[in-house]
Amino acid sequence: MGRSYIVEDAVEGYLSKLCEQQAGSITGLLIGQSSTQRDFVVTATRTPQKEESAAAAGNSPDKEWVIEHARQVSRMLPGGLSVLGVFIITDTDSKDTLTTVRQLVFAVENLISSEHLWNPADDDVTDCVTLHVNPKTRKTFCRTFDVKDPKSMAKPADWKYQSGVCSSWSMVSCCINVDMLVPLPDNRTGTESMDTSLKEELKVWAHQLESGVCLIDGKKLAEDTELTGGQKRNVRQTYTAQILITPDDQRLTDVVQRCGGSVSIRGAIHSRAYLHSNKPKVKLAEKLLKRDVVSTVATRVQMLLEELLTSEEESKGSSKVKRQTEQFCLPRRIFCPVKVSGPVCVCDYQFSDEGLSEVTDRLKEMLDIDAAEEDLDTRQETPAEITERDVAAVAAVETVEVLEPKRNNYIGVAMASAVALLATAASMLYLNDI
Amino acid sequence: KDVHWFHYTLHSQVKSESCVLTICDSPVIIWPNRGVYATPEEISPNTLCEDIHQWIQTDEQESAGKRSAKRKAKKVQQCVINLRLMMEATKTGPLSAPILSKTVQKSHFLSTALPIDCVVRTTSTTMNSRLLEALTHQLCEMEKVILQHMKGTTLLVPEPLHFLLPEPKGLVTVVYPAGVSDSQLEAQRKELHQQFELPNDWPYFRRATAYHFPNEPYKDGYLRNPHLVLTHPSLDNGKVYSVQGIYSYRHYMQDHMDDNGWGCAYRSLQTICSWFQQQGYVERAVPTHKEIQQALVDVGDKQASFVGSRQWIGSIEVQAVLNQLLGVTSKIMFVSQGSDLASKGRELANHFLTEGTPIMIGGGVLAHTILGVAWSETTGQIRYLILDPHYTGAEDLQVITDKGWCGWKGPDFWDQTAYYNLCLPQRPKVI
Repeated sequence: MGRSYIVEDAVEGYLSKLCEQQAGSITGLLIGQSSTQRDFVVTATRTPQKEESAAAAGNSPDKEWVIEHARQVSRMLPGGLSVLGVFIITDTDSKDTLTTVRQLVFAVENLISSEHLWNPADDDVTDCVTLHVNPKTRKTFCRTFDVKDPKSMAKPADWKYQSGVCSSWSMVSCCINVDMLVPLPDNRTGTESMDTSLKEELKVWAHQLESGVCLIDGKKLAEDTELTGGQKRNVRQTYTAQILITPDDQRLTDVVQRCGGSVSIRGAIHSRAYLHSNKPKVKLAEKLLKRDVVSTVATRVQMLLEELLTSEEESKGSSKVKRQTEQFCLPRRIFCPVKVSGPVCVCDYQFSDEGLSEVTDRLKEMLDIDAAEEDLDTRQETPAEITERDVAAVAAVETVEVLEPKRNNYIGVAMASAVALLATAASMLYLNDI
Repeated sequence: KDVHWFHYTLHSQVKSESCVLTICDSPVIIWPNRGVYATPEEISPNTLCEDIHQWIQTDEQESAGKRSAKRKAKKVQQCVINLRLMMEATKTGPLSAPILSKTVQKSHFLSTALPIDCVVRTTSTTMNSRLLEALTHQLCEMEKVILQHMKGTTLLVPEPLHFLLPEPKGLVTVVYPAGVSDSQLEAQRKELHQQFELPNDWPYFRRATAYHFPNEPYKDGYLRNPHLVLTHPSLDNGKVYSVQGIYSYRHYMQDHMDDNGWGCAYRSLQTICSWFQQQGYVERAVPTHKEIQQALVDVGDKQASFVGSRQWIGSIEVQAVLNQLLGVTSKIMFVSQGSDLASKGRELANHFLTEGTPIMIGGGVLAHTILGVAWSETTGQIRYLILDPHYTGAEDLQVITDKGWCGWKGPDFWDQTAYYNLCLPQRPKVI
């Protein structure tokens, strides 16, 4: 029994339009949501043109470029939406295309899942779809591969167009507080170091969230409760979630280590996940929302660090007076509906020095969405602002001698700044060296 | 100054609106700092503790049918509501996007968990504010302990433990520095004894005696104080004198050791050892049969071939082992015939009053443990609370008490013509 893909009508129109372009082979991504029983494709987007590729409007797709596009697109998808697979429009023979497209889809999936900071769940669907459209005959070949199995063979799948696929999808969202403090290794306080340290901490946070209690509209519901049971069709449901966390049950080993500094992330983020309308369960909502929480923070950190690395490259050689403390604003999240009338949105991140036009530009380039600035939903997050108060909050530190800690229970300290969580809580403390 | 800031941050978190108390095994969640906010909606700050109990799922609800009407097992079943302190990570938006702060400064990074563990005993009142009080109080206590044990720049992790004091004081929580042994904390214990006006010859505050909540199973699986569910016999002008503190019930076949038919005195000795361990007098684990036998060889009482054999031991051997392995002295009481035990009421009563330890009695061909006496000074009537080591079944409190493996016996329980030796362990008069 092959998989069944229910595809938004608009995608058919989009693919047709691409067929008429007659520009060698065109690749792109298919975006939507998978469930155990069937899969939903909500939108599609072609691989953007590479600037230098004017000459080589070649027949074979640039694998690296496709993967990079997929990586960027992935960052723009809120919870519940993901890259389901790859499409290719080419009149090349079906068998050759299959090989190409198989390579692409495995590469895309491998990259995307390697960036996940959470553990895959048992009920995750691991099939990805490949769609081959022949522009001359308009014949479509739809096949799936199990990306967990490198030797997986192509399996035929159903591809059916339907209108209003996601018009009655529901959304669960929350605004979550982020308060992280991580030490940086002794002699490595550069950007790469920040990246590694923050990734580790994000994984810990992801784990905490995973075991956290999730309330939907103020209630703790059983995992198997269906969320839109018995609702009228075409009525949009939105749910507000609350997440309660407690530090890990197992006692953290008491840690004393020298460090070269610290990095903290403080603020709040808006997180959301979309759920298909085929009787989604609380378990799914929880899983998708929690994953979105982690990935939106991780994405923004990645983006910021990429910016910092670039500016570090540029300013190499110039003597920089390194300030003791530096602060950076993470970009804020902005949403844009996929279809003017639909509830499902994609998102993008706006840095404080960018205008909304940069956002619409990126939406066009990455997702081939023509959005006007008025269409953008900027109300979910306000831009971060660095105030003088924040700078002063990083307290001055006293110099004290350190005794070598002998046992686990002895912790050498002269506490300078502390951030604490409770309930078999963890507290992180600082000691300044002479 | 820095310690105070640390203290302040934690306090403000507990008092914040993000502080949440969830009731374990139930859908009940309470926001103590948000007035009426709780879920499910039926719960309000005025909800009584007993009413909250109905929301909690327990496993024992199914087996209730088996209990006999007479059984006072209900005495043991107290209403214990376990709560968990959590933080709500979500807030109402929109809020401002995060800021990343990077500080470059050579320092030390410390991470430790503060194991907050509060208990509030309440009758039928609401628990909201009492819990928060307990939480903030414990944070203060922890800060005190940290400061108290700060040597230069080292500090110790504070650990809360609960101790059950005689009524009406009830449960008291003490914060001890982790890793510091009982022997080094004598000064603290002295202070606590003074504070709570407790006698200085019974250890109320040793770590091993920390309170064990009724709904938590013991990890080692042994039953504790099975005699507590029994009804005392009522004698004219009679009083009950029984073992103080906690012991575990040791009997045949435990620990995969088949000592059926020969190990009864060993088991009685193990029960006594468990008493000394659980009152915190000794740290060593309860000795195995082999260890007991080896101890007797070590003191010259037995030949080396004794170890691994199935030979019986008696009260004298029990006394010797208690001395050798635990440093405990014992008195030996001798009766030339079992019928004489009926007249030993006063001595036994005194023992339980002053020492409070279980007694090993051997005679005829059997060994038993005496956990108490019910004795009337005027009529001389006497009953003995017996713990029988000959039981071979599983740790089933119901069976053990129903079938009399732990039960009150009359003077005819003893072989009237056999002679008996009793080993009465003396407890150290320390705290």
